[in-house]
Amino acid sequence: MTTATRPVTATGPATATGPAAVQPTAVLSNRYQRAFTIAVVFLVAGWHLAGAGGQLLHDRPSYSSFAFQVAMWLIMAVAIAAGSVLALRDASGWRLAWLIALVALAASTAAAAASPAHQMLALNWAWGSAGWTGVLVLLRRRFAELAWFLAALALATLGVQVWDGLHRTDLAGFLALLAWSTGAQVAVAAGVRALNVAADQAAAAARSEHAARERQATAEFIAAARRGRWLALQESAVPLVAELAAGTADPGDAQVRSRCAIQAARLRRLLAEGDEVPGSLVHELHASADVAERRGVAVDIETAGPLPPVPGPARRVITDAAISILTAARSQTRITLAAVAAGIAVSFVADTGTAVALPAGGEGVAIQQQQDGGMLWAEVRWDST
Amino acid sequence: MGQHVTVAVVEDHPVVTEGVASWIRSDPGQRVELVQTARDLTGFQAGAPPSVDVVILDLELSGELVTAQIPGLVASGYRVVAFSGHTDPAIVMETLDDGAHAYVSKDEGRDHLVEAVLAAAADRPYVTRSQARAMLADQRPARPALSQQELQALLLWFQGMSKASVARRMSISENTVRQYISRARAKYAATGRAAASKDALLARAIEDGVIKPGEITPYESFARAPAGQPDVAEKPSLGGPGQ
Repeated sequence: MTTATRPVTATGPATATGPAAVQPTAVLSNRYQRAFTIAVVFLVAGWHLAGAGGQLLHDRPSYSSFAFQVAMWLIMAVAIAAGSVLALRDASGWRLAWLIALVALAASTAAAAASPAHQMLALNWAWGSAGWTGVLVLLRRRFAELAWFLAALALATLGVQVWDGLHRTDLAGFLALLAWSTGAQVAVAAGVRALNVAADQAAAAARSEHAARERQATAEFIAAARRGRWLALQESAVPLVAELAAGTADPGDAQVRSRCAIQAARLRRLLAEGDEVPGSLVHELHASADVAERRGVAVDIETAGPLPPVPGPARRVITDAAISILTAARSQTRITLAAVAAGIAVSFVADTGTAVALPAGGEGVAIQQQQDGGMLWAEVRWDST
Repeated sequence: MGQHVTVAVVEDHPVVTEGVASWIRSDPGQRVELVQTARDLTGFQAGAPPSVDVVILDLELSGELVTAQIPGLVASGYRVVAFSGHTDPAIVMETLDDGAHAYVSKDEGRDHLVEAVLAAAADRPYVTRSQARAMLADQRPARPALSQQELQALLLWFQGMSKASVARRMSISENTVRQYISRARAKYAATGRAAASKDALLARAIEDGVIKPGEITPYESFARAPAGQPDVAEKPSLGGPGQ
């Protein structure tokens, strides 16, 4: 049989749906998501350094205690740094995320409470930073969690304002700030979510394209294998059928009957070779034994120990030997497969009456036989080394 | 032996009991006498058996595996030959570890059951092909170390050759083949859970010259597998098929 040339992109039908097919899409989707996370980290860090830090320095003389504001700013910076590590590591636990978010909330509220009354909103640098910190750590969690956090943050700031005394102008300022900072934060979070969906869709599209390529490669592989089997039949079974049809071969002749049995067993093996099942060798031996069993030969197949996988060409030598012996067996054949040091020993004990012409071996396979009275013992050893 | 070997059959299917009885009857030497049959172990013990030498025990009685009852039977002084439809090597190994003298699968009954009973009555090893298969498939860390010759004899025997053919193949006498296989079995009697039946098998093997006391690895719990012991060494290769 001609060896089927496997397409370079495929590793054969058995692995077409294996992990290799799934991985590229997962990698693709992960790569997008990581890019979004990095963008958010830069956005939050930039805001805290330039936006909040700049305002803090600019309004420096107006705070009652500048040192306390700086301390809160530093706490917030640490929270952002920790949140960035968390986000970049893809940690999904809620405890650390919420701990960081609550630290930011507390620092923001403390900074607001320590600002001079009636100037709180004008001097407030912390609300925005705390909100962005929340976006950073809660980005990959349920949207409701971020909404709750931003609402709590807004309420805490409003609470400080109410404590200081709430005027109509203050309320307007509060609402303006709320719209500006929280609005931007919600927009960014929603944007990242939308981009994630797009990335998943892109990944799914890539996956289906990959699957289509795998399917095509598998189909080509199967077609090549079928063609190989067809060629093998051209050489062996077809001439026999032609002779029978032409009447040059006599079905009453024992030798012709034996040739027919061999070809029938080969056909069955060819069909079995296409089945991708674990323990292919045992499966193919069962298929090879089928014809002998129909002839009334009792075949038992036993295995000992965990059997190593045997490559296709070696399996073919082994099943060829099996077919020869099974065809010659009169009433019984025992086939055993045993794991041995560096491979597998497949043996046959059958009442063949005489010695049987066996294949020459090769493909790492060595064949021995011994005749005792009417019983044949043959052993086919495949060595992996 | 001189005297009859007395045997009881514990088997839940009457037709199998009938079959065993007919194998015993058709033994040309009439060496075995069936003195009791029971459908389960309670029935066997309630029957107060008059000096039963060997119990032929079906391992599955009314749908339940009774391997756990073997140590009790052995402690009561019975020799147990397991006779079962199971051929799973793990069950075979467990049965031998529990102290059964031999394991005969139902496929092997006609050829081996009477011989296995006779060997058990004399505390001699008897290794069926299903037992050889379980020994070859044994992967437990605390399995005994078998020599290349012992493994090769076990392999050829498992493959289905007669002992005479194994001897020809290995260019040794048939007696030596029996010796190799018996020695492998005796090494198993020296491992795992302690049992009076295993001691008896070992003592007889030493007496018969099958194994030397020095070749016996002491009792070792299968749960423990100390590194560097000979019985945890790599399973030796079976060697080339030719001589």
